[in-house]
Amino acid sequence: MKALVVSDDINFLKQACTLVNGKAEYDAVYVGEGRVSGVGASTLYTVKKGTPYDAVADGILEIMGNYDIIVAGSTEFGREVAGYIAGKTGYYAATEIFSLEFSNGKAKTKRFFYGGKTVIEEESDAKVFTVAPGVIEAKEFESKPEEKDLPIKPSKVRVNKVVPKNAGGVRLEDAKIIVSVGRGIGSKENISKIEPLVNAVKGELAGSRPVCMDYGWLSEDRQVGLSGKKVSPKLYIALGISGQIQHIAGMRNSKTVIAINKDKNAPIFQECDYGIVGDIFAIVPKIVEELKK
Amino acid sequence: MVNVIVLIKQIIDIDQMKTDSEGKPILSGIPYRVENLSKNAIEAAVQLKEKNGGKVTGIIFGTEASTAAMKEAYAMGVDEGIIITGYKGSNPIVTAKAITSILKNLQYDIVVLGDQSADSYTGMLPGLLSAMTGFPLLGNANSITINGRSVRITQVGEAENAEIEADMPAIVSVTQEINQPRLPPVLQIMAAGRKPIRMEKYDGSFSNVNVISNLAPKSERKKKIFEKVDEGIPEIVKVIKEEMR
Repeated sequence: MKALVVSDDINFLKQACTLVNGKAEYDAVYVGEGRVSGVGASTLYTVKKGTPYDAVADGILEIMGNYDIIVAGSTEFGREVAGYIAGKTGYYAATEIFSLEFSNGKAKTKRFFYGGKTVIEEESDAKVFTVAPGVIEAKEFESKPEEKDLPIKPSKVRVNKVVPKNAGGVRLEDAKIIVSVGRGIGSKENISKIEPLVNAVKGELAGSRPVCMDYGWLSEDRQVGLSGKKVSPKLYIALGISGQIQHIAGMRNSKTVIAINKDKNAPIFQECDYGIVGDIFAIVPKIVEELKK
Repeated sequence: MVNVIVLIKQIIDIDQMKTDSEGKPILSGIPYRVENLSKNAIEAAVQLKEKNGGKVTGIIFGTEASTAAMKEAYAMGVDEGIIITGYKGSNPIVTAKAITSILKNLQYDIVVLGDQSADSYTGMLPGLLSAMTGFPLLGNANSITINGRSVRITQVGEAENAEIEADMPAIVSVTQEINQPRLPPVLQIMAAGRKPIRMEKYDGSFSNVNVISNLAPKSERKKKIFEKVDEGIPEIVKVIKEEMR
Protein backbone atom coordinates (compact mmCIF):
# COMPACT_ATOMS: atom_id res chain seq x y z
CA MET A 1 0.00 0.00 0.00
CA LYS A 2 1.21 3.49 -0.80
CA ALA A 3 -0.09 6.68 0.74
CA LEU A 4 0.25 10.37 -0.04
CA VAL A 5 0.12 12.54 3.07
CA VAL A 6 -0.81 16.20 2.57
CA SER A 7 -0.83 19.26 4.79
CA ASP A 8 -0.19 22.99 4.87
CA ASP A 9 0.84 22.78 8.53
CA ILE A 10 4.03 21.06 9.58
CA ASN A 11 2.58 19.72 12.84
CA PHE A 12 -0.51 18.32 11.14
CA LEU A 13 1.74 16.80 8.48
CA LYS A 14 3.78 15.01 11.15
CA GLN A 15 0.67 13.83 13.00
CA ALA A 16 -0.76 12.40 9.78
CA CYS A 17 2.57 10.76 8.92
CA THR A 18 2.68 9.24 12.42
CA LEU A 19 -0.76 7.74 11.86
CA VAL A 20 0.23 6.25 8.50
CA ASN A 21 3.74 5.13 9.47
CA GLY A 22 4.06 1.36 9.66
CA LYS A 23 0.76 0.81 7.81
CA ALA A 24 1.79 2.04 4.40
CA GLU A 25 4.75 3.39 2.51
CA TYR A 26 4.23 7.10 2.06
CA ASP A 27 5.23 10.27 0.31
CA ALA A 28 4.35 13.72 1.61
CA VAL A 29 3.11 17.00 0.16
CA TYR A 30 3.91 20.08 2.20
CA VAL A 31 2.36 23.40 1.25
CA GLY A 32 4.40 25.99 3.07
CA GLU A 33 7.74 27.56 3.78
CA GLY A 34 10.88 26.32 5.43
CA ARG A 35 12.71 23.04 5.56
CA VAL A 36 10.80 19.89 6.36
CA SER A 37 12.48 17.11 8.30
CA GLY A 38 11.45 14.17 10.40
CA VAL A 39 8.38 13.16 8.40
CA GLY A 40 9.81 9.81 7.27
CA ALA A 41 8.48 10.09 3.72
CA SER A 42 10.25 8.60 0.70
CA THR A 43 9.48 11.57 -1.54
CA LEU A 44 8.65 15.06 -0.40
CA TYR A 45 6.73 17.36 -2.70
CA THR A 46 6.91 20.98 -1.67
CA VAL A 47 4.42 23.58 -2.80
CA LYS A 48 4.59 27.34 -2.38
CA LYS A 49 2.75 28.65 0.64
CA GLY A 50 -0.66 30.13 -0.12
CA THR A 51 -1.30 27.99 -3.22
CA PRO A 52 -5.09 27.52 -3.44
CA TYR A 53 -6.73 24.17 -2.67
CA ASP A 54 -7.82 23.45 -6.27
CA ALA A 55 -4.36 24.08 -7.74
CA VAL A 56 -2.85 21.61 -5.26
CA ALA A 57 -5.68 19.07 -5.47
CA ASP A 58 -5.61 19.01 -9.29
CA GLY A 59 -1.83 18.49 -9.05
CA ILE A 60 -2.34 15.59 -6.66
CA LEU A 61 -4.95 14.08 -8.97
CA GLU A 62 -2.29 14.05 -11.69
CA ILE A 63 0.05 11.81 -9.61
CA MET A 64 -2.77 9.98 -7.79
CA GLY A 65 -2.21 6.88 -9.93
CA ASN A 66 0.94 6.19 -7.87
CA TYR A 67 -1.00 6.01 -4.61
CA ASP A 68 -3.68 3.89 -2.98
CA ILE A 69 -4.80 6.42 -0.40
CA ILE A 70 -4.63 10.17 0.32
CA VAL A 71 -4.31 11.31 3.93
CA ALA A 72 -4.77 15.00 4.76
CA GLY A 73 -4.36 16.89 8.01
CA SER A 74 -7.69 18.47 8.91
CA THR A 75 -6.85 22.14 8.52
CA GLU A 76 -9.23 24.30 6.49
CA PHE A 77 -6.91 23.72 3.49
CA GLY A 78 -6.62 19.98 4.17
CA ARG A 79 -10.40 19.53 4.27
CA GLU A 80 -10.83 21.53 1.06
CA VAL A 81 -8.22 19.40 -0.73
CA ALA A 82 -9.63 16.13 0.63
CA GLY A 83 -13.21 17.09 -0.25
CA TYR A 84 -12.21 18.17 -3.74
CA ILE A 85 -10.29 14.95 -4.41
CA ALA A 86 -13.17 12.85 -3.05
CA GLY A 87 -15.56 14.77 -5.30
CA LYS A 88 -13.40 14.31 -8.41
CA THR A 89 -12.65 10.62 -7.83
CA GLY A 90 -15.86 9.50 -6.12
CA TYR A 91 -13.76 7.81 -3.42
CA TYR A 92 -15.34 7.58 0.01
CA ALA A 93 -13.71 9.89 2.54
CA ALA A 94 -13.27 8.86 6.16
CA THR A 95 -12.96 12.15 7.98
CA GLU A 96 -11.58 13.52 11.24
CA ILE A 97 -10.23 10.11 12.13
CA PHE A 98 -7.95 9.37 15.06
CA SER A 99 -7.41 5.68 14.45
CA LEU A 100 -6.66 3.85 11.21
CA GLU A 101 -6.15 0.14 10.46
CA PHE A 102 -6.27 -1.82 7.25
CA SER A 103 -7.52 -5.37 6.91
CA ASN A 104 -8.79 -7.33 3.90
CA GLY A 105 -8.54 -4.24 1.74
CA LYS A 106 -10.90 -2.31 4.00
CA ALA A 107 -10.10 0.67 6.19
CA LYS A 108 -11.14 0.54 9.83
CA THR A 109 -11.39 4.03 11.26
CA LYS A 110 -12.55 5.77 14.41
CA ARG A 111 -13.94 9.28 14.73
CA PHE A 112 -16.05 11.29 17.13
CA PHE A 113 -19.74 11.75 16.38
CA TYR A 114 -22.70 13.61 17.85
CA GLY A 115 -20.47 16.54 18.68
CA GLY A 116 -18.02 14.27 20.49
CA LYS A 117 -20.55 12.37 22.60
CA THR A 118 -19.87 9.09 20.84
CA VAL A 119 -17.09 7.42 18.90
CA ILE A 120 -18.03 5.80 15.61
CA GLU A 121 -15.95 2.88 14.49
CA GLU A 122 -16.41 2.26 10.77
CA GLU A 123 -15.23 -0.14 8.13
CA SER A 124 -15.25 1.26 4.61
CA ASP A 125 -13.56 1.33 1.26
CA ALA A 126 -12.37 4.87 1.98
CA LYS A 127 -9.36 6.03 0.03
CA VAL A 128 -9.37 9.62 1.26
CA PHE A 129 -8.81 10.39 4.94
CA THR A 130 -8.59 13.50 7.08
CA VAL A 131 -6.82 13.23 10.40
CA ALA A 132 -8.37 15.02 13.37
CA PRO A 133 -6.00 17.62 14.80
CA GLY A 134 -4.23 17.09 18.09
CA VAL A 135 -5.25 13.50 18.68
CA ILE A 136 -1.99 11.87 17.70
CA GLU A 137 1.38 12.75 19.18
CA ALA A 138 3.61 13.49 16.21
CA LYS A 139 6.77 11.40 16.07
CA GLU A 140 10.00 12.39 14.37
CA PHE A 141 11.16 9.94 11.73
CA GLU A 142 14.62 9.64 10.26
CA SER A 143 14.50 10.16 6.54
CA LYS A 144 16.16 11.96 3.68
CA PRO A 145 13.28 12.17 1.23
CA GLU A 146 13.86 12.83 -2.40
CA GLU A 147 12.50 16.32 -3.03
CA LYS A 148 10.24 16.98 -5.99
CA ASP A 149 7.90 19.69 -7.18
CA LEU A 150 4.21 18.90 -7.36
CA PRO A 151 2.68 19.72 -10.75
CA ILE A 152 0.60 22.78 -9.84
CA LYS A 153 -2.52 23.54 -11.85
CA PRO A 154 -4.23 26.88 -12.48
CA SER A 155 -6.63 27.96 -9.72
CA LYS A 156 -10.03 29.59 -10.02
CA VAL A 157 -9.28 31.45 -6.79
CA ARG A 158 -7.25 34.67 -6.67
CA VAL A 159 -5.26 35.32 -3.50
CA ASN A 160 -5.03 39.07 -2.95
CA LYS A 161 -3.48 39.33 0.46
CA VAL A 162 -2.36 37.10 3.33
CA VAL A 163 -2.36 38.58 6.82
CA PRO A 164 -0.66 36.61 9.60
CA LYS A 165 -2.82 36.36 12.69
CA ASN A 166 -1.33 37.88 15.85
CA ALA A 167 2.30 37.28 14.89
CA GLY A 168 4.11 35.49 17.69
CA GLY A 169 0.74 34.75 19.23
CA VAL A 170 -0.67 31.62 20.76
CA ARG A 171 -0.43 28.15 19.33
CA LEU A 172 -2.47 26.23 21.85
CA GLU A 173 -1.97 23.06 19.80
CA ASP A 174 1.71 23.08 20.76
CA ALA A 175 1.31 24.15 24.41
CA LYS A 176 2.63 21.78 27.09
CA ILE A 177 0.51 23.27 29.87
CA ILE A 178 -2.82 25.02 29.41
CA VAL A 179 -4.81 26.93 32.02
CA SER A 180 -8.35 27.20 30.72
CA VAL A 181 -11.18 29.30 32.09
CA GLY A 182 -14.93 28.88 31.76
CA ARG A 183 -18.05 30.85 32.49
CA GLY A 184 -17.32 30.38 36.21
CA ILE A 185 -14.64 33.05 35.92
CA GLY A 186 -17.50 35.56 36.02
CA SER A 187 -16.01 38.54 34.18
CA LYS A 188 -13.24 39.69 31.88
CA GLU A 189 -11.59 41.52 34.77
CA ASN A 190 -11.34 38.31 36.80
CA ILE A 191 -9.01 36.78 34.22
CA SER A 192 -6.19 38.89 35.70
CA LYS A 193 -6.65 36.90 38.93
CA ILE A 194 -5.78 33.71 37.04
CA GLU A 195 -2.72 35.09 35.28
CA PRO A 196 -0.33 34.48 38.23
CA LEU A 197 -1.11 30.75 37.89
CA VAL A 198 -0.59 30.84 34.11
CA ASN A 199 2.82 32.44 34.69
CA ALA A 200 3.75 30.12 37.58
CA VAL A 201 3.17 27.00 35.50
CA LYS A 202 4.62 28.62 32.33
CA GLY A 203 1.39 27.77 30.55
CA GLU A 204 -0.89 29.22 27.92
CA LEU A 205 -4.23 30.78 28.78
CA ALA A 206 -7.29 29.34 27.04
CA GLY A 207 -11.06 29.43 27.43
CA SER A 208 -14.33 27.68 26.74
CA ARG A 209 -16.72 28.65 23.97
CA PRO A 210 -18.84 31.07 26.04
CA VAL A 211 -15.72 32.85 27.33
CA CYS A 212 -14.17 33.28 23.86
CA MET A 213 -17.21 33.52 21.59
CA ASP A 214 -20.28 34.65 23.53
CA TYR A 215 -18.75 37.06 26.03
CA GLY A 216 -15.46 37.85 24.28
CA TRP A 217 -13.46 37.74 27.54
CA LEU A 218 -10.65 36.02 25.63
CA SER A 219 -9.83 36.14 21.92
CA GLU A 220 -11.30 33.53 19.58
CA ASP A 221 -7.94 31.89 18.93
CA ARG A 222 -7.82 30.84 22.57
CA GLN A 223 -11.02 28.81 22.38
CA VAL A 224 -10.66 25.12 23.21
CA GLY A 225 -13.48 22.89 22.04
CA LEU A 226 -15.08 21.13 19.15
CA SER A 227 -15.57 24.42 17.33
CA GLY A 228 -12.21 25.77 18.53
CA LYS A 229 -8.76 24.34 19.06
CA LYS A 230 -8.17 20.66 19.78
CA VAL A 231 -5.34 20.51 22.26
CA SER A 232 -3.23 17.75 23.74
CA PRO A 233 -1.02 19.26 26.45
CA LYS A 234 0.74 17.34 29.22
CA LEU A 235 -1.37 19.23 31.73
CA TYR A 236 -4.78 20.88 31.32
CA ILE A 237 -6.08 22.93 34.21
CA ALA A 238 -9.82 23.68 33.86
CA LEU A 239 -11.04 26.55 36.05
CA GLY A 240 -14.75 27.25 36.37
CA ILE A 241 -15.45 25.09 33.33
CA SER A 242 -18.61 23.02 33.61
CA GLY A 243 -17.46 20.47 31.04
CA GLN A 244 -19.99 20.54 28.23
CA ILE A 245 -19.26 17.97 25.53
CA GLN A 246 -18.33 20.80 23.15
CA HIS A 247 -15.42 21.60 25.46
CA ILE A 248 -14.44 18.02 26.34
CA ALA A 249 -14.09 17.20 22.63
CA GLY A 250 -11.36 19.82 22.40
CA MET A 251 -9.27 18.79 25.42
CA ARG A 252 -9.94 15.06 25.65
CA ASN A 253 -6.42 14.19 24.55
CA SER A 254 -4.71 16.06 27.36
CA LYS A 255 -2.43 13.77 29.36
CA THR A 256 -3.44 14.95 32.82
CA VAL A 257 -6.50 17.05 33.63
CA ILE A 258 -7.05 19.09 36.78
CA ALA A 259 -10.44 20.72 37.38
CA ILE A 260 -11.56 23.28 39.92
CA ASN A 261 -15.24 24.11 40.07
CA LYS A 262 -17.62 25.08 42.86
CA ASP A 263 -20.40 22.82 41.53
CA LYS A 264 -19.58 19.28 42.58
CA ASN A 265 -22.03 17.91 39.97
CA ALA A 266 -20.24 19.65 37.10
CA PRO A 267 -19.57 17.13 34.29
CA ILE A 268 -15.91 18.21 34.19
CA PHE A 269 -15.36 16.11 37.33
CA GLN A 270 -16.14 13.01 35.23
CA GLU A 271 -13.43 14.02 32.78
CA CYS A 272 -10.58 14.98 35.10
CA ASP A 273 -7.80 13.16 36.93
CA TYR A 274 -7.72 15.49 39.93
CA GLY A 275 -10.46 17.86 41.00
CA ILE A 276 -11.19 20.29 43.77
CA VAL A 277 -14.72 21.35 44.61
CA GLY A 278 -14.49 24.98 45.61
CA ASP A 279 -14.05 28.64 44.74
CA ILE A 280 -11.38 29.19 42.09
CA PHE A 281 -10.54 32.66 43.43
CA ALA A 282 -9.76 31.22 46.85
CA ILE A 283 -7.91 28.15 45.58
CA VAL A 284 -5.82 29.54 42.71
CA PRO A 285 -3.78 32.01 44.87
CA LYS A 286 -3.01 29.20 47.33
CA ILE A 287 -1.76 26.97 44.50
CA VAL A 288 0.42 29.80 43.19
CA GLU A 289 1.83 30.33 46.67
CA GLU A 290 2.61 26.62 47.07
CA LEU A 291 4.22 26.46 43.63
CA LYS A 292 6.60 29.27 44.59
CA LYS A 293 7.87 27.36 47.62
CA MET B 1 -29.01 41.29 -8.07
CA VAL B 2 -27.74 37.97 -6.78
CA ASN B 3 -29.26 34.56 -6.76
CA VAL B 4 -28.14 32.99 -3.51
CA ILE B 5 -28.51 29.35 -2.55
CA VAL B 6 -28.11 28.47 1.11
CA LEU B 7 -27.52 24.91 2.25
CA ILE B 8 -29.20 24.15 5.55
CA LYS B 9 -28.55 21.19 7.78
CA GLN B 10 -30.94 19.85 10.33
CA ILE B 11 -29.45 17.87 13.22
CA ILE B 12 -30.69 16.44 16.47
CA ASP B 13 -30.26 18.70 19.46
CA ILE B 14 -26.93 17.23 20.58
CA ASP B 15 -26.94 19.07 23.90
CA GLN B 16 -30.07 17.14 24.88
CA MET B 17 -28.78 13.77 23.69
CA LYS B 18 -27.63 11.31 26.33
CA THR B 19 -26.07 7.86 26.18
CA ASP B 20 -27.35 4.79 28.03
CA SER B 21 -25.41 2.61 30.48
CA GLU B 22 -23.78 0.74 27.60
CA GLY B 23 -22.77 3.99 25.96
CA LYS B 24 -25.34 3.82 23.18
CA PRO B 25 -26.87 7.12 22.08
CA ILE B 26 -30.51 7.57 23.12
CA LEU B 27 -32.10 9.25 20.11
CA SER B 28 -35.82 8.84 20.74
CA GLY B 29 -37.55 12.00 21.88
CA ILE B 30 -34.62 14.24 20.98
CA PRO B 31 -35.87 17.23 19.00
CA TYR B 32 -34.32 18.37 15.73
CA ARG B 33 -32.97 21.85 15.22
CA VAL B 34 -31.24 23.91 12.56
CA GLU B 35 -27.53 23.28 12.92
CA ASN B 36 -25.65 26.31 14.32
CA LEU B 37 -23.40 27.09 11.38
CA SER B 38 -26.36 26.71 9.02
CA LYS B 39 -27.93 29.64 10.88
CA ASN B 40 -24.81 31.68 10.17
CA ALA B 41 -25.07 30.59 6.52
CA ILE B 42 -28.74 31.63 6.34
CA GLU B 43 -27.93 34.99 7.91
CA ALA B 44 -25.04 35.54 5.47
CA ALA B 45 -27.24 34.61 2.50
CA VAL B 46 -30.06 36.92 3.58
CA GLN B 47 -27.60 39.78 4.16
CA LEU B 48 -26.23 39.30 0.62
CA LYS B 49 -29.77 39.62 -0.71
CA GLU B 50 -30.52 42.68 1.41
CA LYS B 51 -27.36 44.42 0.23
CA ASN B 52 -27.35 43.44 -3.44
CA GLY B 53 -30.98 42.62 -4.17
CA GLY B 54 -32.06 39.23 -5.44
CA LYS B 55 -33.38 36.02 -3.99
CA VAL B 56 -32.37 33.35 -1.47
CA THR B 57 -33.26 29.70 -2.02
CA GLY B 58 -32.76 27.27 0.84
CA ILE B 59 -31.91 23.60 0.26
CA ILE B 60 -32.09 20.91 2.93
CA PHE B 61 -31.02 17.32 2.35
CA GLY B 62 -33.10 15.65 5.01
CA THR B 63 -36.41 13.96 5.54
CA GLU B 64 -40.12 14.86 5.57
CA ALA B 65 -39.48 16.13 9.11
CA SER B 66 -37.22 18.89 7.77
CA THR B 67 -40.10 21.26 7.06
CA ALA B 68 -39.72 22.82 10.53
CA ALA B 69 -36.14 23.77 9.73
CA MET B 70 -37.16 25.25 6.38
CA LYS B 71 -39.89 27.30 8.05
CA GLU B 72 -37.30 28.67 10.44
CA ALA B 73 -35.16 29.60 7.42
CA TYR B 74 -38.19 31.30 5.79
CA ALA B 75 -38.76 33.32 8.94
CA MET B 76 -35.14 34.50 8.78
CA GLY B 77 -35.63 35.76 5.21
CA VAL B 78 -35.14 32.80 2.88
CA ASP B 79 -37.54 33.22 -0.09
CA GLU B 80 -37.93 29.72 -1.48
CA GLY B 81 -37.17 26.28 -0.12
CA ILE B 82 -36.39 22.84 -1.47
CA ILE B 83 -36.26 19.78 0.77
CA ILE B 84 -34.53 16.76 -0.71
CA THR B 85 -35.72 13.67 1.13
CA GLY B 86 -33.72 10.46 1.34
CA TYR B 87 -31.17 11.34 4.03
CA LYS B 88 -30.21 8.16 5.84
CA GLY B 89 -27.13 9.18 7.75
CA SER B 90 -23.95 11.18 7.63
CA ASN B 91 -22.14 10.54 4.35
CA PRO B 92 -20.88 13.78 2.83
CA ILE B 93 -20.44 12.29 -0.66
CA VAL B 94 -24.09 11.25 -0.79
CA THR B 95 -25.11 14.67 0.52
CA ALA B 96 -22.97 16.39 -2.12
CA LYS B 97 -24.48 14.24 -4.88
CA ALA B 98 -28.02 14.90 -3.67
CA ILE B 99 -27.40 18.64 -3.59
CA THR B 100 -25.63 18.85 -6.96
CA SER B 101 -28.48 16.90 -8.56
CA ILE B 102 -30.76 19.80 -7.62
CA LEU B 103 -28.21 22.58 -8.19
CA LYS B 104 -27.70 21.66 -11.82
CA ASN B 105 -31.27 22.69 -12.59
CA LEU B 106 -31.09 26.01 -10.75
CA GLN B 107 -29.77 29.44 -11.69
CA TYR B 108 -27.44 30.80 -9.02
CA ASP B 109 -24.50 33.08 -8.33
CA ILE B 110 -23.43 31.96 -4.88
CA VAL B 111 -23.93 28.85 -2.77
CA VAL B 112 -23.48 29.58 0.95
CA LEU B 113 -23.01 26.87 3.56
CA GLY B 114 -21.44 26.34 6.98
CA ASP B 115 -17.81 25.24 6.93
CA GLN B 116 -18.34 22.28 9.29
CA SER B 117 -21.45 21.03 11.03
CA ALA B 118 -21.82 20.46 14.74
CA ASP B 119 -22.62 16.73 14.71
CA SER B 120 -19.97 15.02 12.59
CA TYR B 121 -17.59 17.86 11.73
CA THR B 122 -16.45 16.22 8.51
CA GLY B 123 -15.96 19.57 6.75
CA MET B 124 -15.99 17.76 3.40
CA LEU B 125 -19.01 19.33 1.75
CA PRO B 126 -17.45 22.61 0.54
CA GLY B 127 -14.62 20.84 -1.33
CA LEU B 128 -16.93 18.11 -2.62
CA LEU B 129 -19.35 20.67 -4.05
CA SER B 130 -16.51 22.60 -5.69
CA ALA B 131 -15.31 19.42 -7.39
CA MET B 132 -18.78 18.31 -8.46
CA THR B 133 -20.05 21.67 -9.73
CA GLY B 134 -16.72 22.84 -11.15
CA PHE B 135 -17.12 26.19 -9.39
CA PRO B 136 -14.50 27.75 -7.11
CA LEU B 137 -14.70 27.44 -3.34
CA LEU B 138 -14.00 30.39 -1.09
CA GLY B 139 -13.72 28.55 2.21
CA ASN B 140 -14.17 29.56 5.86
CA ALA B 141 -15.27 33.15 5.26
CA ASN B 142 -15.75 35.67 8.02
CA SER B 143 -16.81 38.34 5.54
CA ILE B 144 -18.30 38.26 2.03
CA THR B 145 -18.55 41.10 -0.45
CA ILE B 146 -19.77 41.10 -4.01
CA ASN B 147 -18.16 43.34 -6.59
CA GLY B 148 -19.67 43.10 -10.05
CA ARG B 149 -19.30 39.46 -11.05
CA SER B 150 -16.72 38.56 -8.41
CA VAL B 151 -17.02 37.52 -4.77
CA ARG B 152 -14.39 38.44 -2.24
CA ILE B 153 -14.03 36.90 1.22
CA THR B 154 -11.73 37.02 4.19
CA GLN B 155 -10.70 33.43 4.77
CA VAL B 156 -9.89 32.42 8.32
CA GLY B 157 -6.96 30.01 8.38
CA GLU B 158 -5.15 28.37 11.27
CA ALA B 159 -2.19 30.75 11.26
CA GLU B 160 -3.29 33.55 8.97
CA ASN B 161 -6.23 35.19 7.26
CA ALA B 162 -6.32 35.62 3.51
CA GLU B 163 -8.25 37.94 1.27
CA ILE B 164 -9.29 35.82 -1.68
CA GLU B 165 -11.73 36.18 -4.54
CA ALA B 166 -13.24 34.32 -7.45
CA ASP B 167 -15.75 34.87 -10.24
CA MET B 168 -19.35 33.85 -9.74
CA PRO B 169 -20.85 31.33 -9.54
CA ALA B 170 -18.88 30.47 -6.42
CA ILE B 171 -19.28 28.35 -3.32
CA VAL B 172 -18.71 30.13 -0.02
CA SER B 173 -18.44 28.36 3.31
CA VAL B 174 -18.78 30.50 6.43
CA THR B 175 -17.39 30.54 9.97
CA GLN B 176 -19.42 30.96 13.14
CA GLU B 177 -17.84 34.41 13.61
CA ILE B 178 -19.21 35.85 10.36
CA ASN B 179 -22.41 37.16 11.90
CA GLN B 180 -25.00 36.93 14.64
CA PRO B 181 -28.01 35.08 13.18
CA ARG B 182 -31.19 37.14 13.56
CA LEU B 183 -34.15 36.18 15.72
CA PRO B 184 -37.15 36.62 13.42
CA PRO B 185 -40.19 38.58 14.65
CA VAL B 186 -43.36 36.62 15.44
CA LEU B 187 -45.22 37.92 12.37
CA GLN B 188 -42.52 36.55 10.10
CA ILE B 189 -42.58 33.20 11.89
CA MET B 190 -46.35 32.99 11.36
CA ALA B 191 -46.07 33.96 7.68
CA ALA B 192 -43.31 31.38 7.21
CA GLY B 193 -45.67 28.59 8.25
CA ARG B 194 -47.91 29.26 5.26
CA LYS B 195 -45.21 29.36 2.59
CA PRO B 196 -44.96 26.35 0.28
CA ILE B 197 -41.90 24.09 0.25
CA ARG B 198 -40.80 22.16 -2.82
CA MET B 199 -40.16 18.48 -2.08
CA GLU B 200 -37.67 16.38 -4.09
CA LYS B 201 -36.42 12.82 -3.61
CA TYR B 202 -32.90 11.47 -3.72
CA ASP B 203 -32.12 7.79 -3.61
CA GLY B 204 -28.44 7.36 -2.89
CA SER B 205 -26.40 4.35 -1.98
CA PHE B 206 -24.76 4.27 1.44
CA SER B 207 -23.45 0.76 1.07
CA ASN B 208 -19.71 1.35 1.24
CA VAL B 209 -19.68 2.14 4.96
CA ASN B 210 -20.29 -0.33 7.71
CA VAL B 211 -20.72 1.11 11.20
CA ILE B 212 -19.06 -1.31 13.62
CA SER B 213 -19.98 0.61 16.75
CA ASN B 214 -21.23 4.01 17.88
CA LEU B 215 -20.72 4.34 21.61
CA ALA B 216 -19.82 6.97 24.17
CA PRO B 217 -16.05 6.97 24.70
CA LYS B 218 -14.99 5.61 28.07
CA SER B 219 -13.28 8.14 30.26
CA GLU B 220 -10.11 6.67 31.68
CA ARG B 221 -9.46 9.62 33.96
CA LYS B 222 -8.51 9.00 37.60
CA LYS B 223 -11.38 11.19 38.87
CA LYS B 224 -9.77 11.89 42.23
CA ILE B 225 -12.05 14.63 43.51
CA PHE B 226 -11.36 16.55 46.70
CA GLU B 227 -14.26 18.21 48.43
CA LYS B 228 -11.96 19.46 51.17
CA VAL B 229 -9.92 22.25 49.61
CA ASP B 230 -7.02 21.91 52.05
CA GLU B 231 -6.52 18.27 51.12
CA GLY B 232 -6.81 18.97 47.41
CA ILE B 233 -4.30 21.79 47.08
CA PRO B 234 -1.12 19.88 48.14
CA GLU B 235 -2.05 16.95 45.89
CA ILE B 236 -2.68 19.19 42.90
CA VAL B 237 0.47 21.20 43.47
CA LYS B 238 2.41 17.91 43.44
CA VAL B 239 0.83 16.94 40.10
CA ILE B 240 1.53 20.36 38.56
CA LYS B 241 5.18 20.19 39.65
CA GLU B 242 5.56 16.73 38.13
CA GLU B 243 4.07 17.81 34.81
CA MET B 244 6.22 20.94 34.71
CA ARG B 245 9.41 18.91 34.71
